[in-house]
This record gives sequence, structure tokens and C-alpha cells, in this order.
Amino acid sequence: MTFWVLFVKPQVFSAKINELTLGTGDKATVLGGQNVFNLYTFDAPIANRPKIGIDVSDDPEQPSEGLKEFYAGCSTLAERAKKAAELPEADFVCIRFDLADPNGANKSVEDCVADAKAVAEAVDKPIVVAGCKNTEKDADLFSKISEALQGKNILVLSAKEENYKGVAAGAGMAYGQKVGAESAVDINLAKQLNVLITQMGVDGKNVAMNIGSAAAGYGFEYVVSTLERVKAAALSQNDNTLQMPIVTPVGVETWGVKESTAPESENPGWGSAEERGIDMEVETAAACLAYGSDAVILKHPASIQTTARLVAALM
Amino acid sequence: MALKGLDIFKLTPKTNCKDCGNPTCMAFAMKVASGAIPIEKCPHMSAEALSTLSEATAPPMKSYKVGDLALGGETVLSRHEKTLVSKTLYAVQVCDCMDEAKQDEVLKNIPAVDYERISERMYVEMVYVSHSAGKAPADFAALVTKAKALGRPLVLSCTDVEAMKAGVEAAAGCDIIVNGATADNYADMSAVATGAKALLGVRADSLEALHEVVEKLEAAGNKNLILEVSTASVKEAYADAVQIRRAALKDGDRTFGYPSIVNVAALSEGDAHLEAALLSLFTCKYGSIVVCSEMTYAKALPLYGLRQNIFTDPQKPMKVAPGIYPINGADENSPCCLTVDFALTYFLVSGEIERSKMPVNLLITDASGMSVLTAWAAGKFSSSSIKKFMDEFDINNKIKSRALIIPGKVAVMKGEIQDKLPDWSVIVGTTEAVQLVKYLRDEEWKKSYVDKSAAAPAAGEAAAAEPAPAPKKVIPAPPIVVTGPYMIDDKPVTYKGHDPNAQTFVTIGERIHCISPAIRKAMDSYDEAPILKRAAEQIAAGATYLDVNIGPAESNGPELMQWAVQLLQQNFNNVPLALDTANQKAIEAGIKVYNRTNGKPIVNSADAGSRISNIDLAAANDAIVIALCSADGIAKDNEERMMHCHNMLERGLHLGMESDDLWFDPLFLVIKGMQDKQMDVLNAIRAFSDEGLKSTGGLSNNSNGMPKHIRPIMDAAMVGMAMTMGLTSAIVNPCDQRLMETIKSCDIIKNHNLYADSYLEI
Repeated sequence: MTFWVLFVKPQVFSAKINELTLGTGDKATVLGGQNVFNLYTFDAPIANRPKIGIDVSDDPEQPSEGLKEFYAGCSTLAERAKKAAELPEADFVCIRFDLADPNGANKSVEDCVADAKAVAEAVDKPIVVAGCKNTEKDADLFSKISEALQGKNILVLSAKEENYKGVAAGAGMAYGQKVGAESAVDINLAKQLNVLITQMGVDGKNVAMNIGSAAAGYGFEYVVSTLERVKAAALSQNDNTLQMPIVTPVGVETWGVKESTAPESENPGWGSAEERGIDMEVETAAACLAYGSDAVILKHPASIQTTARLVAALM
Repeated sequence: MALKGLDIFKLTPKTNCKDCGNPTCMAFAMKVASGAIPIEKCPHMSAEALSTLSEATAPPMKSYKVGDLALGGETVLSRHEKTLVSKTLYAVQVCDCMDEAKQDEVLKNIPAVDYERISERMYVEMVYVSHSAGKAPADFAALVTKAKALGRPLVLSCTDVEAMKAGVEAAAGCDIIVNGATADNYADMSAVATGAKALLGVRADSLEALHEVVEKLEAAGNKNLILEVSTASVKEAYADAVQIRRAALKDGDRTFGYPSIVNVAALSEGDAHLEAALLSLFTCKYGSIVVCSEMTYAKALPLYGLRQNIFTDPQKPMKVAPGIYPINGADENSPCCLTVDFALTYFLVSGEIERSKMPVNLLITDASGMSVLTAWAAGKFSSSSIKKFMDEFDINNKIKSRALIIPGKVAVMKGEIQDKLPDWSVIVGTTEAVQLVKYLRDEEWKKSYVDKSAAAPAAGEAAAAEPAPAPKKVIPAPPIVVTGPYMIDDKPVTYKGHDPNAQTFVTIGERIHCISPAIRKAMDSYDEAPILKRAAEQIAAGATYLDVNIGPAESNGPELMQWAVQLLQQNFNNVPLALDTANQKAIEAGIKVYNRTNGKPIVNSADAGSRISNIDLAAANDAIVIALCSADGIAKDNEERMMHCHNMLERGLHLGMESDDLWFDPLFLVIKGMQDKQMDVLNAIRAFSDEGLKSTGGLSNNSNGMPKHIRPIMDAAMVGMAMTMGLTSAIVNPCDQRLMETIKSCDIIKNHNLYADSYLEI
């Protein structure tokens, strides 16, 4: 019906999200590239579906029984990363150096670099490197790992307001790796950080954003609005300081809240903690993808399989 | 939906007949658009044009109630644009194709999830009762009867008209949705729904077909509809849900302006985790009712939290219910940490306490959802509000511990709280939540703990082990002695005088505010010097009025305000003042000693909510009042702002005030965070000005959080734009030279002040 055509208007923008390639060879994966809102395949075809990373910490402690079982028999970070990478639904592996925290185990940068090298040998999927949240240590860590993994086209998570100079200069400019820019659910800060990093000399096309994350129910409205506003500015205002693809670590947030971890004995009605943890991760990830994340990073294999199934069904 | 003048013009006869009293149809249309005259003034408007017009001004999406549950009524696609109004409702599906045992099991499990989260009941709101082709109408009716026993609204899903009739009959007395209109049965199904006074659910094989059926139903007069999206695949369901909502809200297609039903039970193929993912996806976009096969706590805990986040009004702070929150297995002997009910504060503080692994009773008091310092400055977090909370929740009997740790940021309240809660040991805690872990883990609070029960004299004992604590010293206000003009750089600072009838912009200097530690300390000890210094700086910089914020000042408000008023007026040639405190007695006392030579006192401030009585206070004392156009949180749009404005205006006039004595404050909003709302604020100022009203506001709030060197630039631009709109006053930092020069320049351009080359210096 011609009348009908008047009313369903595809919302296709002249701007698009940058395409960012991680890794090399057959297993390389591409984030972003779309000229429509996330998952809106009915507006225009989306060449690169949203991607899913698997989060592997250097800390052998696991937040659930299922994860313990999944990594049973693995004793090193490289072994766990290899196991994680074998999951067919995982597009990339995110190794996280929790133990490097100077206020915790304070693992040395050299040991972390050695771990990262071992991972790079064990794994052929793209590698994302997350730090310990101590900005000073992370800057050093990212720089050294970027050097050691030169040519692997890794992404470091992340450069923040406090350490962007070191991270951009080290990982980004000296060793040509991809740089993640992390801000805390504030669109103005997200833009500012991208401006600062590109002013340093890093090509904006080599930057990904982590605009902040939260578990569903925990101030997640800020994540929602920041994701939506970033994507709207990138596409409808053609703001090229916000056209970087968005990578959202979900698992680190969701496996820390009581809904996921409280033992069944504490709230008998709640049922298995494993199931709760998976659904918390899955539902948070689905919401991130709906509002604008181009990639999510999850911990549990069942969450990853479910999210992959959801994404496939939507493409 | 406001209609533009040109759109209305197109509907007029375009004959320029002047029968409406306007020279042209165009002039008429423009006035209609502004709301100045009703469309009916034109006697030649066709019925068709009138109905088009009423259609165009109707809300873009219908809203309904099913029982107490709201559906539809959305005006925006994203929460940040305004707010989402009707939260997604969840239903569990039960089908007459299931065997009886299965039906009973499904129905039995529905009430299992039922809990409260931040003052909201979380449960399965509806039951979705399906009829399958192979079953008889009686089977459906029997199932409906069983489902009805749960006492929740039912969605009857059935495309067979006879079976639907049986179902509707069985559901008598229960709120229902008749979900089953198709291209083939819509006329009959519509009659069933209309007969049952129920919403009619419509479905079709494609969006095009759905649009067509809805058009036919509308043409037949049924506009009480809800649209079921495709159940063919996840991809189609998502495309439908988004495109229906977008067509209605963005592209103005009212045929799709109805709520939606998404049946994820039909899409998840028995995969519970996939169902969880789909529940989340369609809560985000854009299911009004989302139907699943089973609601478990695993699905519900994240889902209801997500929904609560998405459907909060971004303008209103999220609050947690006041009460006792025991953490880490705290019992009656565990110490208490006290804080406000702002949800972010609660999550931060409770999170850090959890990390400390120490048992603590977290006490949440009602502070209108404000953060600690804001609530304190507004008088919402005070020794009285804490005392009231302790009594209301019977804390003295529920908890045996007498350790009460208060936020470090309000250390100044310690004495007052201690006076009101003599049995407790009031301890000043950390200033930041993150410091709590160490503070609690190392039990640092014990160092400041005083055992009050030991101090109380026990019968038969000659002397207590410890001397009774000395009562808090109340310092009397010292007399004010003016020794001569206040000097800055050897130049006397004198107030130049103010003519209340002048048109020039009124600046209210904001620098005497007890949120500043120096001023807080000075007011605590009646120390003149820091207060006089700030006053002199502001007067020298050209402030018209000075604001005097003494904080909540619960114990000595009247005395402190009188002292401050006299101190400032006697030293600075009766400089006019804005009296700024939540303590009404203090304002009244201040006005009693106030000298009106340079203008009436200003009461800072009233709002349309809990502080509306400050208008009465101003009226009774012949004062000016700053009237914040807000009630509970920031107004969501200018319609609401103007509603508050008119309420307060009416109240003031009724009490005999002049309209010039109500200065309306639109509430300037932070650009970092509310960039898209700035023009709303400016348009509100224009609306005040168009009605001949005066306006003011905390202008520099717009640049909050920006770097120091940017703020004066942004503030100057804001004041320039606001003055163009008609702003007559602002609460500012007069020591910002760029801002003050901009204001003076704007006054020249507005012809409020005669130009001379030296206008900046006078």
C-alpha cells in the first residue's frame, strides 16, 4: 500500500559508526560500521553484528561453581584464556590483570607481560587487555604489553582521564594498538576524552569507547541514557568525536552484585545462584546491546551462548 | 503535540473574510497556534478540518488503565528526552493446550515472585490465557475461570470469536484484555471487546496488514486497542515493536499510537536464558506488556531492577524507602550508620559497608531524595528530621546499640543531634563512602564512642564513672559595633543604593552561603570578619542584593539571622538582602530588624511543593519571594513549569501580594548533563516575561562542573541569552567581572540604562 509506505520511515543516517578491527588474520573481528541504531536491521543491513568477548582474569578465583567447572584443570591465565577462546560464540578474549593492583597482590608488570605473551601464543582470537583499575599501574602495564604483543592488533581497556596520555602514547602511538577510552556514564566526559586522545595524535579510527557500565538495577539508567545519547550524537549530529564503537564490560559488574552471588541458603526462594548470575549477565548484556554497545564482555559461557543466540536471531 | 501556525493555516478556508476579527487567515492561524484564540472563532472551518485538528492535537499514543495498571501514553522514544511514563508490564502465559497438571503448575508458580525493591512491588502483573485451535470454547472458559482466581488482570488470547465469548463470560468481574482481532474477525471481536468494556488486542501477519486492520477498527469507532507484535521470529517481533512505536511517536502515525504486546514465550523456544534476554530486550524497546512462559527469581531480579531504572523520571531523584537496613548480618547490637534516602547515596554507602564485611545497621532517613549536603542545606536532613525518623521508626527500642555514625560532611550537626538524642553516642563518620571500608573494618568509630548509659547516674551510686557530658554551649550573638566604613585596599566600600522601581537587572550576590566552610565556621561563632569581607567584595563588585544563607540553623536561626541582617545593613548602608534558610522563624526574625531603605527583603525561597508556605510568609511580611517553578524535583517541561508558576502567583495574589513581588525561578540546569533542556529554561523565562512577571534564578548552575576558565564565558553567554528572553534578576557571583560586564552591557542594549563611555564603571 502506498499510503503505508509514507508512515514506516527507515531511519538511516549519513553518518556511521567507525569500523574497528581487532586481531589479525581469519579470526580478526570488526566492531561498528553501521549507519543505523543498534540492531535496527529493518532500517538498513548491518554488516558487522555486535560482538561478544569472554572475560578471563589472572585471578584464579571464580565467582560461580559453573565457572569453576568450566575452567577446571586450567592453572594459568594462558590455559584459562585458551579454554575461553575455544568457546565458538566468543569473538575475542579479554584478559584482565586483577592481580596487578598495587593495593592487592601487586603482581609485577614483568609477570603480567609474561602472562600476556603466553596468552598470545595459546590463543588465535583477538585479544583485549584490561587492567587492574589503578590508573598509574595500568598505563605502565598497557605500554609494556602493547610492546610485547606488537602486531597482534590488541585493544587496551582503558585510557581514563587520569592516564590517557601514557596509554595513548604507549599503546596507541608507539605500538599501534587500539585504545579504549573509558569514562563514567557522562557523555560530555566521553567526548572530552576522545578529543584529548585524538589531540595526542592517536587516529580516532583506532579508538573504542567504554562509556561506563553497571549491573541492571544498579543505576543502569545512567548507562542507558549515555549509550543512547552517544549513539544519537554520533549518527544524527555526525559528531565524529563520538563515532567510536562502544565496548561494554558487563560480566565484571554483574558478577559482583548480590543477586548473582548470594548463596541460595540466604534467600531460599531465589533458587540457584548460578542461574541468577547467568540471567543477571544475560539481561544486562541484552539491554546494553539494545541501547548502543557494539560489543559486550561477559564471563559465563552460558551467558555468552545465550547472548550470541539473541544477536544471531536479530541479524 | 503543538501544532504550528502554518499547519493550521492550511486548514483554514484562506478567504481572508475577517469574520473571526482578524485581518487574514494567516494572522488567525498564528493566534490559534499560540493559544490566544480558539479555532471555533472561525465560522467557516469545515467539520473535516476541525476533526483533523483535534486529531493533530491529540496525544501521539493512547493511554489506558487495566485495573490499576497504566498502559501507553508515551511521548518520547528515549527516557532522556523527557521520561517514559508507563512501565512494561509482565504476564505469564497459560494455555488450554497444556494438560491440566501443567496448567495448574503454571498458575501456581505465578505468585512465587513477589517482593519489594525501592518502594515498588515486583510481581507478575497479568496472566496471559491462550486458547489453541484444537480446544473447545468450554476448555478455554474453564482455564479462564482458574486463572481468574489469581486476582490479576487477564489477557485473553484467542482468535475464535465463540471461544472468546465463552472466555469473556468466564472472566466476568475481572479486568481483561480481549486479544484476538484479526483481518478476518475484527468486526465480531471488536463487538465482544466493546461489550466487555475491554481493550481489544489486534494482530496480523505483517505490519502493513496490522495497519490496515487498525484503520478499519478505528473507522468502525473502536480506538481502545493494543497491538500484538509478530510471533514469527525474534527479528520480526523486534522490528514490529520498534517500528510501531517509532511510527507513532516520531513520525506522528496515530494509527500505530497504541500500546504493544510482545509474546516472548512464543519466541524463546523453551530456552529460559534466551527468554530472560528477550524479556530484557523488549523492556528496553518497546513492549507495553511482555509475556513469558515462567517468571523465576533468576529472571525477575535483574529484570525488575532494569525496568525500575529505565522507567524512573530522569528529572526526579530516585529514592529508597526510609528505614533500618541491616547489612552483613547486623543485629540489634550492631552500630548504626545514618544517611539520606537518595538512591545513589544508598547504593554507594551500602556497597561500601558490604565490602567492609562488618555488621552495620544502615539507617535511611527521608531527605526528599537529595544528597547529604544538598539535603542539609535545604533543611531536609537536620537534627529534627533525624529525631523524627528515630521516633517514627522506633529505633530506640528496635536497636540496642547506641552508636550513631553520621556522614562526615554534616559534622556541624553533631551537637544538635546529640542534644536531641541524649541516649546515643553521635559519632562523626567519614566524608566519603569509600573511606567507610577501612573506618568500619578497623573499628575507628569506637575511638569516638562515648557510653551514655555509663554516664547516666545509676540509683544508689554516689558518683558516675564519667562526668555527665556538658550541654552544648550556646553562644549568644554579640552586639554589633560599626567602627567606620569597611575598607578594601584602603578604599571605603559603600553600598551605592538601589531604586526598587528601576528597570535595571538585579544581581543577588551568592557568596555568603553556609555551604562554604569559612562562612559556616564564621556563623557558628558569630565571627564578623569573614562575613564582612565577602559582603564588601560583592558590594564593591556591584551586587544589588546580597543573599544571606545561614543553613538550616535549627537551634539559633532567629538570633543568627537577626545578627547577620544587622551586621550587613549597618556596615553597608542598608544593603538590601535575600534571607535564605529553610528555617521560617529565622526569616521572620530577620525581617523584623530589616531596614527597607533600598528595597524589600527577599524570601529565598518558596516552591510549589513543600515550601509553598514561604509565599504566605512573604505576603504576611510584605517581602519579595523567589518562587521556584518546581514541586518535587525539576519540572519535566514548560507546561509543568508554568503550572507551578500560576499556582504560586494565584496564591500570592490571593494573599494580597503584588505580582512584582513574586520573582519566578525557572531553575537553571547544568549544561553538563542537561544540555538538551537549556532552551526550555530560556523559553520559560520568555513565558514569565510575556505575562509581565519578574524572574530570577541561580544562573551559574548552568556551568557547574565546567573548568574554571570556561565558567565565566558560559555564564556570560547564558545571562545574555536569558536577558534577551526577559530575565530581570539573577543570583550570581558578582566578583565574576566578565559576567557583571555582560549584564551591564545588556542593560544598555535593553535601554534600561543610558549609555556613556564609562558605563562599565558606574
